[in-house]
Amino acid sequence: MTTSTGSGQGLELKNVNKTFADGTTALDDINLSFPEGELTALLGPSGCGKTTLLRIIAGLESASTGTLILGGSDITTMPAYQRRFGMVFQSFALFPHLSVEDNVAYALSISGVDKTVRRKRALELLDLVKLAPLHARRIGELSGGQKQRVAIARALAQEPRLFLLDEPMSALDAQLREEMQIELRLLQQELGITTIVVTHDQREAMSMADSIVVMSAGHVEQTGSPQAVYSSPRSSFVASFIGKTNLLEGVVHDRQVEVAGVRLTPSSPPSFINGARVTVGCRPERTILHTDSQSSDQFIPASVKLVRDIGPVREVYLDADDRQLICELPSAGATRLSPGDAVRIEMPSEALHVYPRQESA
Amino acid sequence: MSTHARKAPEPVASVITKPLPAGLQETASSEPVMLRPLLLPLLIGATCLLCLLPFALVLVISLGEKIEGAAWQWALDFSQYRRFFVGLEWPDSVSFLYSQKLFYSFYYATVGAVLAVTLAFPFTWLMTRQSRQLQTVWLVVLLSIVSLSEVFVVMGWDVLLSNRSGLPMVLREAGVTGWLKDNGFFPLLREWGLANPRDLKFKTSGFAVILTMTYLVWPYAVILLFPPLSRMDNSLMEAAQTMGARPMTVVRTVILPSIRIPLMGTTLLLFVFLLGVYVTVSVFAAPPQQTLTLSIYQSIRGATLNAPFGAAQAVVLLVSACLCLGASHYLANRSKSRS
Repeated sequence: MTTSTGSGQGLELKNVNKTFADGTTALDDINLSFPEGELTALLGPSGCGKTTLLRIIAGLESASTGTLILGGSDITTMPAYQRRFGMVFQSFALFPHLSVEDNVAYALSISGVDKTVRRKRALELLDLVKLAPLHARRIGELSGGQKQRVAIARALAQEPRLFLLDEPMSALDAQLREEMQIELRLLQQELGITTIVVTHDQREAMSMADSIVVMSAGHVEQTGSPQAVYSSPRSSFVASFIGKTNLLEGVVHDRQVEVAGVRLTPSSPPSFINGARVTVGCRPERTILHTDSQSSDQFIPASVKLVRDIGPVREVYLDADDRQLICELPSAGATRLSPGDAVRIEMPSEALHVYPRQESA
Repeated sequence: MSTHARKAPEPVASVITKPLPAGLQETASSEPVMLRPLLLPLLIGATCLLCLLPFALVLVISLGEKIEGAAWQWALDFSQYRRFFVGLEWPDSVSFLYSQKLFYSFYYATVGAVLAVTLAFPFTWLMTRQSRQLQTVWLVVLLSIVSLSEVFVVMGWDVLLSNRSGLPMVLREAGVTGWLKDNGFFPLLREWGLANPRDLKFKTSGFAVILTMTYLVWPYAVILLFPPLSRMDNSLMEAAQTMGARPMTVVRTVILPSIRIPLMGTTLLLFVFLLGVYVTVSVFAAPPQQTLTLSIYQSIRGATLNAPFGAAQAVVLLVSACLCLGASHYLANRSKSRS
């Protein structure tokens, strides 16, 4: 994911804003580019504007201001029916009065393609999503996973320039969701089609996407590869939204941060003035737990609240400075810990991130 | 946990299973049991009494014999049906006068119902896209139109279409009549019964009948189509758009097939309603184009006082309507199973 100018057949959004009739600002100055052939996930909590952005891209909503450029052409005012973008809706939006095959062949049927050709193409696509044997079924006779596959096949029938998916997994159960994530990713890689997926599930975004756009309250918080966003979150919101993180409040003193009476030294010194109130973040798997009496002025005292064994890792919930922290340890050879045990926590310099503190209103 | 000894609460089951006093027990248990087997026959009996008995009576009267200068007497006489289909003089001569009236009954009802539904569909569609507040206002307006009686509606259209002060006068004053004359449209309009040699005329024309009938049932069509159209999933239409469907294609390929059953149901309901319209036809239809409803009334209450013939006409109208509805139902089922 890049925020630079687009190239090739990629999509570029420039200064896109959306304000609804009631005055609600859904999108605030969005500048993004979606490189060709990549799968990008628009990720954020409910109401952050990700679906509105997808609908603007699809042509189902119009942007209040801003420009959409696809492969060098301005498509801002182009109606949805001329854009040739395949879209999978959250509810799948399959036509109940048509069979599976007719749903998939719909785009070809309305564009006047010969019946034999469209039937062949529909069966090819159904074969691609492993549903060819069910081509004659009614939509009401399909399971949730099968409906989703039909919706994908239908969206691909017109060989779209862009493939858009709006929370495509939200109606599926956990196991099926996992399977479909893998299948969708394999299909996207096979077809090499530029794809944008809207999701509020960070796990789904991380596991499927080449790049992630994290959104909050109508603006883009951060863009980048899943690993880059996870390892270097640019704000406390991104840090807490993408995976788990330990956030502690502190004050800047001489390029160090004082947290719970302990001075921490981030590897990249914070560019804040002395006395600035900040939030310090460190991922649970980077947080080190010390049970021995070894002491350091960079270790934070804490007490064990709960220990949870989750397969290969053990999660230790700690109480430090009236805040709950989590530390992830490998299960194998882990030290015996009980609630109430006094421990000390080390947050390594290179794992520390410092953000300006978000003062609650 | 407390170690104090506590009095065990009285089991709930014991309260429920406590025996009722003898008298109460009897009534509570035996009354519903006695009523239950009677309920179904009672319902069937009431239905027969209310629906089938009047029809059976009409059928019996239609087979009765007309006594000149008096009422009728019991008989098994099919002459009224013969009169309906081929005329009294058959086999010497044949008359299709009443078949023609039946045709006009169906013609006006079909055209009126289809037109009302056709006009109501886009209106209702646009209405469902409005705010809740505006929808409520429209529904109140529609309900107030529905509350008007047929007599009142016909009176209104009678004034609006009258030759001297209504639409013909407006068109004449606006120069439309002159323009139609100058451009040679008058012979065609006269052929359609919408003009006399000097002016446009709408009263006593099929146009006036259909216009008033459509107006009469249009609010019903909107009210009947509103629930299925407002329940329609917007994402279906949006999905069609993303696949290249223009707005009219969306209507043709998604919206209409999705509400096919309510559309057909509404049309049939309005059709049946319009078959019985009386005042509109008596005011606006020319005598040769009048419907069976008028003829039935004239036979039973008019100068001839021929109850058996009126009843025979009613039976033919009812059976024809039933056949028509049956055929529509069959066609709807067939197209559903095909698609």
